[in-house]
Amino acid sequence: MNDILLLIGRSLRNAMRQPATIIPNIAISVFFLFVYNSGLSSVAQLPGFQGTYLGFILPVSLVSAAVGGAGLAGQTLIKDIDNGYFTKLLLTPTRRLAVIWGPMVASAIILTAQVVLVMLLALVMGLKVATGPLGFALVVVLAFLWGMAFAGYAAFMALKTKNAAAAQAATFAFFPLIFLSYTFVPKEYVTAGWLKVAATINPTTYVFGSMRSLLNTGWDANALLVGFAVTFGFATLTGIMALWAARGATKMTS
Amino acid sequence: MGDHNGEERSITAEGMRRDFGALHAVDGVDLEIPGGRIFGFLGPNGAGKSTLVKILTTILNPTAGRATVAGYDVQRQGGKVREAIGVALQDVGLDPLMTARELLMLQAELFGTPRDEARKTAARLLVTVGLDDVDPKKRAGAYSGGMRRRLDLALALVHDPRILFLDEPTTGLDPASRAAIWEEVRRLNEEFGMTIFLTTQYLEEADRLADEIAIINKGKIVAQGTPLELKREVGDEVVELQFGSREDAASADDALAAVAANRQASNRELRLYFGRAAENVPELVRTLDAAGIRLQGLTIEQPSLDDVFLRVTGEGLEHEVDEAGDEGSASPAEVTS
Repeated sequence: MNDILLLIGRSLRNAMRQPATIIPNIAISVFFLFVYNSGLSSVAQLPGFQGTYLGFILPVSLVSAAVGGAGLAGQTLIKDIDNGYFTKLLLTPTRRLAVIWGPMVASAIILTAQVVLVMLLALVMGLKVATGPLGFALVVVLAFLWGMAFAGYAAFMALKTKNAAAAQAATFAFFPLIFLSYTFVPKEYVTAGWLKVAATINPTTYVFGSMRSLLNTGWDANALLVGFAVTFGFATLTGIMALWAARGATKMTS
Repeated sequence: MGDHNGEERSITAEGMRRDFGALHAVDGVDLEIPGGRIFGFLGPNGAGKSTLVKILTTILNPTAGRATVAGYDVQRQGGKVREAIGVALQDVGLDPLMTARELLMLQAELFGTPRDEARKTAARLLVTVGLDDVDPKKRAGAYSGGMRRRLDLALALVHDPRILFLDEPTTGLDPASRAAIWEEVRRLNEEFGMTIFLTTQYLEEADRLADEIAIINKGKIVAQGTPLELKREVGDEVVELQFGSREDAASADDALAAVAANRQASNRELRLYFGRAAENVPELVRTLDAAGIRLQGLTIEQPSLDDVFLRVTGEGLEHEVDEAGDEGSASPAEVTS
């Protein structure tokens, strides 16, 4: 365990030394929150809309913060591979997985801090969490897990391609996932059939659904269960992909 | 320090092979290196030196064969091997955002050293490699090539390894940095009985440091022995003849076939190997005169490892050294001859 803690500490310290790798991600999340909340808040006036538009749009901002923060794991691994430090770490008795998990967990910690920051900002803007402090915490946990799922994906791409540009490009996959969903208006107001199909097969839809129930409408066991199940499933899938790529990249011999 | 010659400091390989597609980067290498020795692995770029080091240090699996390092199987007991060895690879691996002290402390802690002890180790090693007077806030990314090499060497030493692998440790360094690394390597071997596996493409480096040398070419070991043994195999003395043109050298090579059985032509020079060179010089000069070949210079010297290399591979190392030496004046091949 000590080796993972040491490598998490190293990744966190390095991230603090390069604030430029963190600040744009926070800025984008805050931008989403302000722009969509002020520009589209009249959606909340539509008949049948439950809660506030701030509570509805906040998950978009949080998922964006989580996914963007997760990309840091891939970037750290790519840099380590490029400058040879990855190999240097493999030459220590450190467990092979610690070399991968260090940056992944560090990026998850950073994205969690970003998510909390954005949520605190939303509280300042007048957000009332329908499920109280526990619901607030569960939203953070969901964002953290969703971020870990993307950290696994980012690590997989970094270890497979060993190319910074390719790994960076791969993180753009999250854009269709965010926008091919009930991103700006509830399901009932979407008329395009193709978007409904896309939203149904898009796992992000269920993360949004869980978060929105916690923030806007109150405890909803079904929404929570589906949201957590989809997030766990996605995180497990990308975690296995990252492990598989790690086995190849580290040429594990023991 | 216990038995420095024992298995815990030894390196062995049997039928070691590593293929990259159709290329046999390492092609059936056998090694038996007792503990406490400085073993020089000499060969040009692409000969297979780095690939073999990567296999022996557990970061690359062989295609076939078996190897043990410090008594442990490199494939089945990689963790044990890594605990026993220090490694400075040709591509220096440093995190550019960290300071030297942070890198050394992290490395020591990853090898299980407690934090307080790791702090002391870092301070001691910075003195050892002469980086103690560098601004402690300076990050590794701002270090010069020589400083990076020295820091990398320090990183390889944080856990007092029994065996040290140095993959071309002085390539591209200026003569002063190179001499400092040689001195440190010798000290580690003499004071701590550390086995040192050193790859190099510099003849002088192998000649000065190594107790035993293996010459590798195209993935195969083509000669092995102490520097003296290897040089004696080509003859006790060398007569080097210099000519005005490559054609003259080639003609001389033919003309002198009856006088010297062991010859190497290289560009405008011809090197002839004898037991006692001086006795043969009059005959050489007469033969060249009779053949109408004009001699521009003649020197008698001891055989060098380049002569050994020429003999076993049919080509010299000098051109590789010139390409590799970033700082041209430091070409050790020039110093050797």
